[in-house]
Amino acid sequence: MRYSTRRAKALARALGALAIVTSSLVALAASGSAAGDRGLTGTWNRYPQLDETPDPKLPPPPPPVGPPPLKAQYLPAWEAQQKAAKEADARGQPLYTDYVKCLPDGMPAMMLAMFPMEVLQTPGQVTIVQEAYNQVRRVYLNEKQIPVEDAEPGYWGHSVGHWQGDTLLIDTVGIKEKVRFRGVPHSDQMRIHERIRLLTPDFFEDRITVEDPVYLTQPWSFAWAYRRLPHYKMLEYVCDSNREYKDPETGGTRLRLENHDPGPQRP
Amino acid sequence: MRQFIGATSGPIRRGRWSVGAALGLLWAGVGFAHHSFAMYDSDHQVKVAGTVKGFDWNNPHVYIELASSEQGETKGYTVECASPGILNRVGWKFNMIKPGDKITVIIAPLKTGEPGGLLKQLTLADGRVFSNGGPAGKPNIQ
Repeated sequence: MRYSTRRAKALARALGALAIVTSSLVALAASGSAAGDRGLTGTWNRYPQLDETPDPKLPPPPPPVGPPPLKAQYLPAWEAQQKAAKEADARGQPLYTDYVKCLPDGMPAMMLAMFPMEVLQTPGQVTIVQEAYNQVRRVYLNEKQIPVEDAEPGYWGHSVGHWQGDTLLIDTVGIKEKVRFRGVPHSDQMRIHERIRLLTPDFFEDRITVEDPVYLTQPWSFAWAYRRLPHYKMLEYVCDSNREYKDPETGGTRLRLENHDPGPQRP
Repeated sequence: MRQFIGATSGPIRRGRWSVGAALGLLWAGVGFAHHSFAMYDSDHQVKVAGTVKGFDWNNPHVYIELASSEQGETKGYTVECASPGILNRVGWKFNMIKPGDKITVIIAPLKTGEPGGLLKQLTLADGRVFSNGGPAGKPNIQ
């Protein structure tokens, strides 16, 4: 008799626990998590925009990106390259870069959000679309990151993420060595950590930390902020008329003129 | 050295669209461009009036081919504009310019002296005025 009472009580406790778990899941679904949306879905613009005075009602914009903490042996080459770019601009012959060539900027530069950005939250995945160059990142939620050696190099890499409270933590590996933010070299050991958090319903920040044991003395951290762009419909972007070409003599960028210039043709 | 070419007389007539374009600029003023504008001389802008020969509405840039008559001679200009996305956001439309249209542009000329430049401001035959979006900068002449 006592035994069966204990069993009944245990069963009741188990049912109670099940009810709590079930109701939590229902609540989770109602709050949007099960459906994937935690308020990030929508279209966004970098904040502040060029020449825009920050709105005192909004959280203060993150400080500008600081210099990369490159190891001493890599710093001179990077500084020389920055200087060469400045000098080329001063000569009116800006360097011909992959970006001018219409290759997408990749990670982490894509998060600079040159053009509007769309975030989609679906079960198990956060997708970030950048209008410039039709760039798409897919962040797989609650998956284990693959070993760096197994990450096929690409422009946006392999990203996994999970929610920690109100913050979406993303880990990215597998960025091609030629895909460089601010011309900073990196190895295949580079990892990009992101902490994405809504600060208001219409404003979020992405705190980025780049780690690379080969090239950096310490993690390189910076942050960008975004403001909701309501009702915006993303446009397509295909580079099908790129008239910029590399001048074979100077290496600088030139504009191919139509109809009235027999000058160098683009390669 | 630099001069107004085929300059229209009097101030540029501002149509009802200029306000919309300016408002568009406020929220759209995109932070970065496809490339550096160092090829162009923004300090010595020129005004060119002419007839549209071509309107290339594509990424990464929109181009206007313009034929301008100067002292009986016709000169062709390639005018680089921003991208369709930026221009859409400051009020342009993909079909708002057609070959044969008479337009006036203010451009930052190519530093090489070749007949081309970066658009600073566009005025259509009906008087509507359009900017080239935030990154390209503003005209410094009228």
